[in-house]
Amino acid sequence: MPTIEIEYEDFERLLDVKLEKDMEKLDEILAFVKGEVKAFNEKEGILTVEIKDTNRPDLWNVEGLARTLRGFLGLEKGLKKYNVAGNSNVEVQVDKRLWKIRPYIACAVIRDLKLSDTIIRGIMRLQDKLDQTYGRNRRRTSIGLYNFNLIAPPLHYTVTKPTETNFAPLGFEQEMTLKEILEKHPKGLEYGSIVRRFDMYPILLDSKKNVLSFPPIINSNDLGKITTETRNVLVEVTGTVLETVLNTLNMVVFSLVDRGGKPYSTTIKYAYGTKKENIVTPAIKTSTMHLDIKYVNQVLGLKLTTKQVAELLKKARFDTEKRSNDSLLVCIPPYRIDIMHPIDLVEDVAIAYDYNNIQPLWRRLPTTGAITPQTELHDFAREIMIGMEFQEILTCTLTNKQSLFSKMNLKPEKIVEIANPKVQTLTCLRSWLLPSLMEFLSNNQHVEYPQKIFELGIVVVPDKRAETRTCEEQKLAAVITHAIAGFTEIKSVLDAFLAALNLKGQIEETVHPSFIDGRVGKIKIDKMDIGVIGEIHPKILEAWNLEKPVAAFEVNMSKIFRLSKLS
Amino acid sequence: MGELRPHERKTLLVLKELGGKANVNQLTTKSGLSEAALMRAALVLQDQKLVEIRERKQTILTITQEGKIYAKKGLPERQLINVLLELKSEAPLKKVIKKAGLRENLVPIALGWLRRKGWAKPEKGYLKILKTPEKEGSDEKLLKLLGKKLSVIIENLDPEMKKAAELLKRRKLVEMNRKTVRTLEITRKGLNLIKRGVHAATEISQLTPEIIVSGKWRKAKLRKYNIKAPVAKTWPGKKHPYLRFIDEVKRKLVALGFKEMYGPLVELSFFNFDALFMPQDHPAREIFGIYFVKSPKHGNLSRYKKVVTKVKETHENGWKTGSKGWGYKYSVREASRLILRGHGTALSVRTLISKDLEIPGKYFSIARCYRPEVVDKTHLTEFNQVEGIVVDENITLRDLLGVLEKFAIEIAEADKVKFRPDYFPFTEPSVELSAYKEGYGWIEFGGSGIFRPEVTLPLGIKVPVIAWGLGIDRLFMMRAGIDDIRYVFTQDLDWIRRKGRI
Repeated sequence: MPTIEIEYEDFERLLDVKLEKDMEKLDEILAFVKGEVKAFNEKEGILTVEIKDTNRPDLWNVEGLARTLRGFLGLEKGLKKYNVAGNSNVEVQVDKRLWKIRPYIACAVIRDLKLSDTIIRGIMRLQDKLDQTYGRNRRRTSIGLYNFNLIAPPLHYTVTKPTETNFAPLGFEQEMTLKEILEKHPKGLEYGSIVRRFDMYPILLDSKKNVLSFPPIINSNDLGKITTETRNVLVEVTGTVLETVLNTLNMVVFSLVDRGGKPYSTTIKYAYGTKKENIVTPAIKTSTMHLDIKYVNQVLGLKLTTKQVAELLKKARFDTEKRSNDSLLVCIPPYRIDIMHPIDLVEDVAIAYDYNNIQPLWRRLPTTGAITPQTELHDFAREIMIGMEFQEILTCTLTNKQSLFSKMNLKPEKIVEIANPKVQTLTCLRSWLLPSLMEFLSNNQHVEYPQKIFELGIVVVPDKRAETRTCEEQKLAAVITHAIAGFTEIKSVLDAFLAALNLKGQIEETVHPSFIDGRVGKIKIDKMDIGVIGEIHPKILEAWNLEKPVAAFEVNMSKIFRLSKLS
Repeated sequence: MGELRPHERKTLLVLKELGGKANVNQLTTKSGLSEAALMRAALVLQDQKLVEIRERKQTILTITQEGKIYAKKGLPERQLINVLLELKSEAPLKKVIKKAGLRENLVPIALGWLRRKGWAKPEKGYLKILKTPEKEGSDEKLLKLLGKKLSVIIENLDPEMKKAAELLKRRKLVEMNRKTVRTLEITRKGLNLIKRGVHAATEISQLTPEIIVSGKWRKAKLRKYNIKAPVAKTWPGKKHPYLRFIDEVKRKLVALGFKEMYGPLVELSFFNFDALFMPQDHPAREIFGIYFVKSPKHGNLSRYKKVVTKVKETHENGWKTGSKGWGYKYSVREASRLILRGHGTALSVRTLISKDLEIPGKYFSIARCYRPEVVDKTHLTEFNQVEGIVVDENITLRDLLGVLEKFAIEIAEADKVKFRPDYFPFTEPSVELSAYKEGYGWIEFGGSGIFRPEVTLPLGIKVPVIAWGLGIDRLFMMRAGIDDIRYVFTQDLDWIRRKGRI
């Protein structure tokens, strides 16, 4: 979820309305754009807002927020038009060799800007947020802004060898090669991985071979610095997906236009494949979509008229044309890239109507509530264990190999491991339950004994044949520990447990490295192996720092479930 | 007077035998009574002013495993200095270490202490003696003593030895533990009572089968107990507080007509993301957003070929859903990537494609989910989600609000509710539910929405589907009066035992 910072007074100025400095009230207003106040730094006048919608980059800046909220606040309605003021006559020649590296570029020239420090800070925040989120950390798109007066068109978007070209990157006075930038510049270190695998790196030059930028890493310190003196700005976006590149450019252009700038177009000359192709950017297109009023009412459960729907859409800053008695043609502003389906328009109608004006409805549907038969069995099993004075516990299924194997005196087996663990103690899913209980005991040595605990939980083991390559089973493990805890005590618990489940279990001698030899048995029902019971080996007690004997059993509830279904 | 219960009588007499004053340990050894029984008797005797109980805090010094080794072999610096003395006060460092047979990891420790004690110092590869050390320092004296006795009481040591104890503690060769020692002393009244003779009570204390069957109880007097006296603690077997709460939520959902669903923890990306119309480059699918299975990396989607094709087309161009789609090249291989389930909604997808799906149908699950988060007061990396869907031809946004309101009132016992627009990649419209509860204020309680057509149509569902998720952990925290989410998986047995009904 994008979190953005806006300057409160600037926000008020753009909205052109005095707000009460009441965060709860502000929250109610922000609800229209799925936003929420996260913090307000009154001293610096900075408001931190979380925008939940990850598909609306147009809202991730103060200009866009104000643009949309003015509609919901009834200050302005209908579509806000953005038109190109003219042609800047700037051409950008694109080198064929960029096809596999970073093929697309889009540019615009914005003239007659009056930039304050606040506006510049806002643009930097917008650039940063778009690069990170919509641009997927500059992999998909990245934005550059330049002082247009210092640039000599036409521009060349081309490639260069890592050591061939040097320039002074933003924030540095001395020149560096592209290779050095990747090695030394903070942005080079942060984003270098995007280009490092190529032999040639992208570069944007003007006709005098001055470097504008090394996309997507860093701008030039000379041309790429925007100050309050800057009147005319060149905006450039490079990236891997044409549509995203064009959308990103539009977001920046609209913000600058909202700030009083006039947008001029540029011509991008591509020569990929055999055909030459020119694209004029920014490509500001208003799209349209049909909306069936019946559909609106069917989704919302309301009885809105065509006129009402049209009014609500205008509040949400769309334009509409009536097509028939129950259908509208909706004009969608170019920044609303989230509108993919009429359902997206329906939601905007509902938001403009206000959710809290919609009467909730509870209908009794003819359904039968039920827990699964497995849960039913599990609840019964838990009840029996609790009846025998065992305390139920709940532990994590994530664990580590040391707990599962070496601390249980076992050789490692194949288990389900995580490729990207967050901490070294949680690297895999547990393959059996007992280690979780041993860990629990080991964390409770100061607590009064005797301790009798159990857990019913999931374990996961690899299974090549399954669609998820794993097999999940429900297990129940129980342990008793006190100064004279032993086999007979736990066996009597197991007997009672199985008897309550109408099962006849046999204990067969076995060898298990976690248990004391001769005090461990396999639990069998009708020749089916369903678990293990015994006294924990002192070696394991030592590994878990335990000083009192522990007797335990672990049974497979999934197998017991299958058996109970057979009988 | 002069009548005491057997345990009380025994305690008093044994105390007399031990010279009129003894600690609990001595008394239990001599009397054979358990500590609990003895203390109960002592409390009664104290009530009757026959004995006085005094409590004293003691610090017990015990030797650690490492300390034991040094108690036998001598401290590492002593081992080195002894060799150096033999080698005539100056010798190559390596030679000294080798001759002393000191392990490598102990060398820096030994050298450090040689310098600190002013015995010797290393110089250009040589070890040079500075002064002839005393034969046995107080720290060594104490260590030797502990080597034999294993523990001593600090309060009984002289000041020099106390200092030595602190020193050894810093070296982690000993440990200190505080303990309460109770001493019993007979009072004048108690002595007088013994002089006059203490009789065993003729009143019956424990009612036995023999007394009942023989009818002796008719003549005997059943003694009155001090029913206010403290008794031993009993810990009941009970459900984990969180699971008990979850059971309650389940019961309420079943009562509202919801059926429980189940699905795997290790999941195919397809069910967690693709089928929910989350594009394959969505940030939630990166290593910061989801746990990936190490090996094998991919599962088998061949059972779902038809659905996968439709989902693929929906992502690429909208298929027949009326959507524009995401407009990128979809990879089936990526969809088969194995992950640990990131949200319970994956399960709803499985339910929707199941041949057992009923329409109208209401389903819920309490699903264990995983996300690569650093665990703190408000985040878990493994957590539970309560999720559900309602499938029916006629449902609308009003029904969704109705379901949410019902939950707030039935499950959170809220006084009133409020709805806000919300965002999920797979629902449109999306609604956030806030519930107001007296004493707690407004709390965010859940997220919900109507599944997008891009989700339902490729799964073969032609009717609307409401999906909701409840912030069950937050609700539990509120009910249990805790402000730390880690209590859900607490390792604190004492807390679980003591936690009453929530």
